[in-house]
Amino acid sequence: MPISSQLIRSVTAQMYEWSLKQIPDDTRDVLKKFAAAERNPVGRKTLAIMLESSEAAKQNSQLVCSDVGFPVYMIKVGSRAQIDGNLRQAITDGFADLVDGINPPILQMVTHPLTHKRSYAAPGMPQVTFDWVDDADYIEITCSPKALGSGRWAALEIFVYPSLDQVEKYVMDCVLRAGSQACPPIVVGVGIGGTFDYAAKMAKEATLRPHGVHNEDPMVAALEERLLKAINATGFGPMGTGGDATAMAVNVNISHGHGFVPIAVCFNCWINRRTRVRIGNDGEVTRYE
Amino acid sequence: MSSHASRASATHHLTLPVTAEDVRKIAVGDMVYLNGEIVVTIGLPTHQRILDNAASGGHLPQALPHGAFFHLSCYNRETADGSYEALYMNPSTSTRYNSYMPRIVKALDLRMVGGKGGLDAASVAAMRETGCIYLSFLGGGCTMLARAIEKVVAVDWTDYISQFRLVTLQVKDLGPATVGIDAHGNSIYTTLAQEAQDKLPALLAQMKAEREAAAPPAGE
Repeated sequence: MPISSQLIRSVTAQMYEWSLKQIPDDTRDVLKKFAAAERNPVGRKTLAIMLESSEAAKQNSQLVCSDVGFPVYMIKVGSRAQIDGNLRQAITDGFADLVDGINPPILQMVTHPLTHKRSYAAPGMPQVTFDWVDDADYIEITCSPKALGSGRWAALEIFVYPSLDQVEKYVMDCVLRAGSQACPPIVVGVGIGGTFDYAAKMAKEATLRPHGVHNEDPMVAALEERLLKAINATGFGPMGTGGDATAMAVNVNISHGHGFVPIAVCFNCWINRRTRVRIGNDGEVTRYE
Repeated sequence: MSSHASRASATHHLTLPVTAEDVRKIAVGDMVYLNGEIVVTIGLPTHQRILDNAASGGHLPQALPHGAFFHLSCYNRETADGSYEALYMNPSTSTRYNSYMPRIVKALDLRMVGGKGGLDAASVAAMRETGCIYLSFLGGGCTMLARAIEKVVAVDWTDYISQFRLVTLQVKDLGPATVGIDAHGNSIYTTLAQEAQDKLPALLAQMKAEREAAAPPAGE
C-alpha cells in the first residue's frame, strides 16, 4: 500500500507544530547540564529561564519563539518507497493547514528577498529538498523551520588546500562574528569540501545531528571536540550576555572534492528546532525527534 | 569594564516611567523586572515612521517619549468588540535596527531600549547622552514573556502586519531581562566581543597544540 499524500500533508503540518512548541529532549538535557555547570550567575539564570520557558511552552501548547521561521523540509526518499499523489503539493497544503489551524496563530515570516514583503505562502514555499536512499521502503522527513536570529550568521568561503590552522580559524571567525546574537548556546554545523552547494548542505545537515553523535572519522571527531572547547572558552555565554555555555555542539561533515575547499558554517539557536519522522510503505509513522 | 563574570549582579524591580537618573543607577549585568507601559515593534518601516512622526509632530504613542521601546515581536489582533488582544511576544535581533536607533533614542529621549543581541557603538553613545539602558530579553522566551502582558493599551499603525505595528502594552513583572548596555557607555556586547577577539590567538594556539600532541606532524 503506498504512502498517501494525505498522510504526508497531515504529518508535515504536525511536524512544524511540534518543532515550534517544544525543544528536542536531548537539547533540554544539554541545557540542564550547562545550567548546573555555568559559573556566571547571569548565565545560570538565563539557562534556567530557557528551561522554564520552553517547558511551559510544551505543557501549555504555546510557541517557544515568536519567530516561527520559514518552512524548511528535507526528505529522504527510499528507492522502494511508494507514494500516492504529489509529495511537494502535499507539503504545501500541509503548511497552509498549519497556518489556518495552529493555536496560537503564527506571524507572517515568509519574506520576499527583494521587496521584503511578508506572507504565509509564496512560490517555492515550503523549501523542500530531496535525497535518495537505496534499498529503503520509507521516506524520512526532517522539518527545521529556520528563523532570522541564527539563520543570518551562516557563512561560506572557498579555500585552496587549507591547513587545519586555517580551517579552525575560519570556523572561530564565523563564531565570533555571530557573537552574542545567534541566541547561544548554539549548535554549530560545519561542512568542509565538495562543491560550494554541497558544503552548505553538509553544514546544514550537521546542525540537525542528534546530540552526542560525533563524526565517525576520528580526525574529524577530534576537530569537533577542539572547536567546541575553544568556542566555550570565548565567553559569550547564554543569550550572549556572558558565561561559559556558548555552544552545545560543533558538528562537522566532510566530503572529498578538489584542491579548492569550501568551508560552510551555520548555526542553530538554543531552541534547536528539528523534528524527524519516517513513514513506511505500510503507512506507519515513526517519530525520531 | 572587565569581564562581568566576577561582579555581583543586582536585580531591579522598576515601574515605568523612570527618569534618566533612575536608569543611571543600573549597571551592565544587572537583571530587571518591569512594570508599567512599554512600546514594542519589530518593523523596520515602523522605525522610519517613528522618526518621521517625531520630526513632523505626527502621532506617536503616549508612552513612547521618555519611555521604554523594545524590539519585541508581538502577535496582536482585533477582537469582536473592536479592542485588541496580544497573544504573545518575544525579542528580535536589535542590531537590525542599528541605523535607526541612535536617532530614535535621541529624538524621543528614551530611557530603555531592548530586544536581544545588543546595539552598535553609535546607539551606545546616544543612550549615554539621553540616559538609557538596553535590556536583553530571552530569545525563545515567548511563553514566559507573554505571562507579563496585562493589557493592550494601544495598537498604532494597523496598516502594518501584526508584528510591525507599534503596540503599547501594560506589563507586570516583565523579565528577568539582563542589562546589556548601561547609561554610562558600557556594553556587555562590545566587551564580550573584544574579550573573545583577544582570546582568539591563544585558543587557536591551543587547538594547534592539541592537534600536534595527538598526531605529531609527519615532516613531509
